[in-house]
Amino acid sequence: MQDDQPAAANGMSKSDILQLPLEQRDDIIIYEGVHKWFGTFCVLRDINVRIKRGEVVVVFGPSGSGKSTFLRTINRLEQHQRGRIVVDGIEMTNDIRNLDAIRRETGMVFQQFNLFPHMTALSNITLAPMRVRHMPRREAEEAAMQLLERVGIPEQAAKYPAELSGGQQQRVAIARALAMQPQIMLFDEPTSALDPEMIKEVLDVMRELAATGMTMVCVTHEMGFAREVADRMALFDEGMLLETGTPEQIFNNPQEERTKTFLDQIL
Amino acid sequence: MSTTTAERFGPAPPPPAFTVGWQGWLRMNLFSSWSSGIVTIALGVALFFAALGGVRWLIFTSDWAVITDRVPLYIVGTYPREYYWRPEIALLLVSGLMGMAWRTWGGPARGFAAAFGALVFVVALIPYQMDVLYRALLLAVPAAMAGGYYCAHFIPEQSRTKWFGITGAGVLIASLLVIAGFSLPGIGSPAGLHPVTESEVGGLMLNLLLAAFGIIASLPIGIALALGRRSRLPVLKFACVAFIETIRGVPLITLLFMSRHLLPLTFPENIDVSLLYLSGITITIFSSAYMAENVRGGMAAVSPQQSQAGEALGLKQWQTTLFITLPQGLRNIIPAIVGQFISLFKDTSLVFIIGMLDLVEIGRAGLSGKIEYSDNGMEVYLFLALVFWVFTFSMAYISRRIERTLGVGRR
Ligand SMILES: Nc1ncnc2c1ncn2[C@@H]1O[C@H](COP(=O)(O)OP(=O)(O)OP(=O)(O)O)[C@@H](O)[C@H]1O
Ligand SMILES: [Mg+2]
Repeated sequence: MQDDQPAAANGMSKSDILQLPLEQRDDIIIYEGVHKWFGTFCVLRDINVRIKRGEVVVVFGPSGSGKSTFLRTINRLEQHQRGRIVVDGIEMTNDIRNLDAIRRETGMVFQQFNLFPHMTALSNITLAPMRVRHMPRREAEEAAMQLLERVGIPEQAAKYPAELSGGQQQRVAIARALAMQPQIMLFDEPTSALDPEMIKEVLDVMRELAATGMTMVCVTHEMGFAREVADRMALFDEGMLLETGTPEQIFNNPQEERTKTFLDQIL
Repeated sequence: MSTTTAERFGPAPPPPAFTVGWQGWLRMNLFSSWSSGIVTIALGVALFFAALGGVRWLIFTSDWAVITDRVPLYIVGTYPREYYWRPEIALLLVSGLMGMAWRTWGGPARGFAAAFGALVFVVALIPYQMDVLYRALLLAVPAAMAGGYYCAHFIPEQSRTKWFGITGAGVLIASLLVIAGFSLPGIGSPAGLHPVTESEVGGLMLNLLLAAFGIIASLPIGIALALGRRSRLPVLKFACVAFIETIRGVPLITLLFMSRHLLPLTFPENIDVSLLYLSGITITIFSSAYMAENVRGGMAAVSPQQSQAGEALGLKQWQTTLFITLPQGLRNIIPAIVGQFISLFKDTSLVFIIGMLDLVEIGRAGLSGKIEYSDNGMEVYLFLALVFWVFTFSMAYISRRIERTLGVGRR
């Protein structure tokens, strides 16, 4: 399993690894020749990418290019049909134990928040720790309150999602994902359903999260955020990963014509 | 110069006079155009004459002896007089349950319990010939309610709903046993109670027993059937679909008839299942098929993104159903569930087809039993309609209150 890891990463604790420069860390997500079809339509075409522990990757590209599908294959909400996906050493197979392990590794934040409307913000956050990790209610609630404090809305704990603004809902959703203590956070356009003044409060939370060394894969078109926070950017087009590079390279010196025209469209 | 818009233009003008106050209301709702004015006046005249006729009948013609002479019959049917304390014990148990509901939910449960307690209390005070013991038991209803309220105090708040369900099921079974006292195969008569014959359980008591049993049992069975129908296992799915569609394809009256004449053929010879139980089971089965379709509809309306969010958190599929999609699905269909309970309650009057004396049948028997009552059909059916209406209206009222209370967390 560790066959293709840099030597330096072997046998080190996770916090030690995060002290290393990116290129010496281990790969937490590995895609090798991954394909996926919806019927006869090829949504993902030969995806090869390695994401380092603690790396922040911003995925962007035109609508329908397969960004969401790519993200959803990382936690196996969608299954790939050819190629190999390894997440934190766990190979994606149909084995149900692997599936449980993967879901424990990853937290996901959706464009439409997808909070559970029949539960308070606090219960939204405590549900999974109590039911999956069998944490006692008291402990789960304390942890949830700490998370709500971290995303800046402890006073909203007793409210229902419908009583919260979009930005507050999305922050509860982030807290809910973090409550399972994932290694990797997946964001699928977390700000595109929000009004401009709320976008900032969500991006701030994500920025802080990145600073803690969380591995993050974000589909977003917030280019300011990408420029500032991303270690790497990845352009998807028609199911292919056309180009990856640091924000510096992507913005100033894109290799692909498609990257340049796409950036011209959205900037 | 920075003035607000209101400062620049002065306060906003008031609405035109003809749209406010009672004149405005009349004008907008009843006389908004020539044609609607004509309809309003025509309907008003028709209503006036109908009301006039009704009042005249009520004062000069109607004779309520067919009701007042037979009050116990309407309430408990031909139940033996010396055992009246048994349904009354059941009533006390139910009152205790209402007290528990009062403490658990307040609001609508409180209103309902208070109205019910007051009603029974007033009825118990009516100077009608009744044994002292029986009257005392009726007067104890508010006390039983207080008892239930007090007991709920000892249950931690989060688990009160659960315990209410468990107690409710217990109370229902206990009531059924106490009232009927039918001997069970292998056990004999529960608590040494003298069994009554099945035709002696009748009147409103029979309708309420069957409805309560049907309502409480058909909800979980309906949910199970709906989940089965949504299942990915083809055999389970097929079995549920077959069951639901078969039952929905047959009128209840036919099912009742079959339960009376065909079902007993499948039992071992020495076992004699009471008609009361047979009809209860039949009504439950009938209702749960419809309930299953309601639940399925409600769950289909829950966005698939909800279960994906659950899955992404690592919840197992059954957990996602139990904690996320099912509660939302049920909340979507509260009006449909209550609507079904209402029709189930009314459908209980069909058990006359297998020879049981429910409220309606008691009324009919009164009309045909004595020659001096034979002209009083109007009184009897008005009374029956009123009784059914009071119960169904309370159910509808509670449903609206529940919807409003639960509305908080809705999108
Ligand atoms: N369940 C599905 N069945 C069939 N086709 C699908 C399904 N989900 C997505 N697709 C198709 O796959 C393609 C990629 O979809 P995907 O949601 O990954 O795009 P995206 O890059 O996230 O787009 P957007 O920016 O609009 O969110 C689209 O053409 C979409 O229509
Ligand atoms: Mg998408």
